Amino acid sequence: MPWAAELEERLGQRVESMHLLAGGASKEAWAVDAEGGPLLVRRALGGVIHEATLSLAQEFQVLEAAAEAGVRVPKPVAYLGELGGREAFAMERVEGETIGRRIARNPPRGLETQLAEELAKIHAIPLERLPFLRGGDILERFHRELDSVGDPHPAIEYGLWWLREHRPEPLADVVTHGDFRIGNVVVSERGLEYLLDWEFAHLSDPREDLAWPIVRAWRFGADERRLGGVGELRPYLQRYAELTGLEVSEGELDWWEVLGNVKWATGCLTQCRRHLTGLDRSVEYAVLGRMAAEMEYELLNLIEQA
Amino acid sequence: MSDRPTAPELLEAVWEFLSSEVLPTLDDQRLKFRTLVAMNALGIARRELEADEPGLGEDELSELARRIRAGDLPADAHAVLKTHVAAKLRVSNPQYLERYE
Repeated sequence: MPWAAELEERLGQRVESMHLLAGGASKEAWAVDAEGGPLLVRRALGGVIHEATLSLAQEFQVLEAAAEAGVRVPKPVAYLGELGGREAFAMERVEGETIGRRIARNPPRGLETQLAEELAKIHAIPLERLPFLRGGDILERFHRELDSVGDPHPAIEYGLWWLREHRPEPLADVVTHGDFRIGNVVVSERGLEYLLDWEFAHLSDPREDLAWPIVRAWRFGADERRLGGVGELRPYLQRYAELTGLEVSEGELDWWEVLGNVKWATGCLTQCRRHLTGLDRSVEYAVLGRMAAEMEYELLNLIEQA
Repeated sequence: MSDRPTAPELLEAVWEFLSSEVLPTLDDQRLKFRTLVAMNALGIARRELEADEPGLGEDELSELARRIRAGDLPADAHAVLKTHVAAKLRVSNPQYLERYE
């Protein structure tokens, strides 16, 4: 790597080896073996999935705040500034399962309540601890993002229309993870080990995070287990209520589940535009454009049942 | 009129090449994953070439999107959209629809 020397200098450690890992959508993830131990270096790519994506400097601060709040996260090691012209940070490299399909096939016991426990800790982080996090009207945000795509998507428009018509009374904003779901957790036979990917942290209604893992796309084929393909909603919501005092009913999450499908459908389309615009050519981003139809079908189905 | 193989047959030939000759030689997980994604893309293109559903045109989609945004929904919007999206899924991921049966 042309920036290996920069990395050694910033870390103040000798780097023995490094390689690019699989996965990762808007960031590169490098496995780096440094003198001090195994590290994971997150480095920026050209574009972002959603407009409100945090910079890596901000994501690193969120990771530090989460660690302070006792959230299970890989230990933040250092913000590295720019490596080869793109900003990066280093954190502890952890072991465990992250592949959604494998977790949903054989979910560890107690994962539902562990997910609720982590979420309760995140939602308790004081807003003033992370003053750069932004909130704002969530439906306006997705109208804007959909407009940025260019081509017409009437099914997503329909989802947004339904959401406008049925909008619930908002709850007070909390610090949200923003991408809280199976696929962004590290799991072992003991259960939940770590929570990853904090780049979409923002201020929002806590139900946005609560409902995101129930979106069908994040059930990884185990559709019958509504919570992320790993469990039931009841113990999850019960544990969350015990810890936060906030009682959220299953039915209340329906609106947020439709929103989640709008969000991921739009996310697929904006990621695909990174390929189409030449910002970041990749067959992975290209096919995401065709995946949006899955969330469109799901939201039509959910609205039919609502 | 071109000679055979037809466009779908060419895509199928590339798919088979990737599946039987490239994929088994790959150890790198990232390359393996991306090869599977590429094969999926070929499948989508092949099904699209073979599909004979006319569906909604660009103008109709724009008009429908505009009306929905304005809150002026056609009475049959839900049904029309469901048919439109199901047709897209028969091209992009036919197995997905089975999850709703």
